[in-house]
Amino acid sequence: MSEPDRKADPKLLEILVCPLTKGPLRYDAAAQELISERAGLAYPIRDGIPIMLADEARSLEDDAPGS
Amino acid sequence: MIPSMNRNISSPEGAWFGDRAVDPSEKTGLVRGVFDRVASRYDLMNDLMSAGVHRVWKARFIRDLNPRPHEALLDVAAGTGDIATGWRSSGGGPAILCDINEAMLSQGRDRAMDRGKLSGMSWAVGNAECLPFPDRSFDAYTIAFGLRNVTDIDAALCEARRVLKPGGRFFCLEFSRVAILPLRKIYDAYSEAVIPRLGALIAQDRDAYAYLVESIRRFPTQEVLIERMERAGFAFISYRNLSAGIAAIHRARRI
Repeated sequence: MSEPDRKADPKLLEILVCPLTKGPLRYDAAAQELISERAGLAYPIRDGIPIMLADEARSLEDDAPGS
Repeated sequence: MIPSMNRNISSPEGAWFGDRAVDPSEKTGLVRGVFDRVASRYDLMNDLMSAGVHRVWKARFIRDLNPRPHEALLDVAAGTGDIATGWRSSGGGPAILCDINEAMLSQGRDRAMDRGKLSGMSWAVGNAECLPFPDRSFDAYTIAFGLRNVTDIDAALCEARRVLKPGGRFFCLEFSRVAILPLRKIYDAYSEAVIPRLGALIAQDRDAYAYLVESIRRFPTQEVLIERMERAGFAFISYRNLSAGIAAIHRARRI
């Protein structure tokens, strides 16, 4: 809590894949999310720790800004 | 909606939360709840429950693991980070700490920060049954006092094999079956009577520790775990009992 903007390790972000599809992830630094296009999910990064759980992920279909 | 994971929960443990029959889809969340609630007192409780012996077991585990500087470790169910910290301080290469429980993981990360031991360690929340790592990524995979809490043990074993490089080694430290009958009776009586009370006293959570005791009793014996590792495709499988089988180290390789 004292250091709210801890950064995730860039090497870790390189190696991570989507746990469901094992496909690649796109890092959205502004939103602090890892996006799996194939699964339609955005995994949050909280306090520098990527949360790679489908049930914690945001669904891209439900609330995408529209493309 | 979250896409369905399309998994068949095949492990018999999936239907039990301690001694309570539950729907397999509920178990993962229930176990996460246990560790969310006890995270801040978890290390202290381990010391009290085992009279410090879990430290000796973990030291043995690290020695058997034989860390090397050029090797990459994935520590699953990393919790507060004892194994990865031991790996690093014994000369092991970079370690990724993965746990389904965010509270335990950030507790461990904060502790590593306080001790100035962040280098070569990174943290990711993930499920042992569907790991967020590519195939053939790691030289070593460890899971210490974690496999017991996984809903689908067989899925976790398959995932462990998948993320290991060929030749990579799998190491599991877990409570097991006491090999000597009189000792087993004493141990069962101790764990049933004492551990939940300690839990109530120290962590203010009797149910969480009752779950731990029951989950130890339900975990596969040394030989059954070996069969399941075989089924997951591991080779060169063996185990070593610790403290007469109160715990055991299972090891294997991906070939």
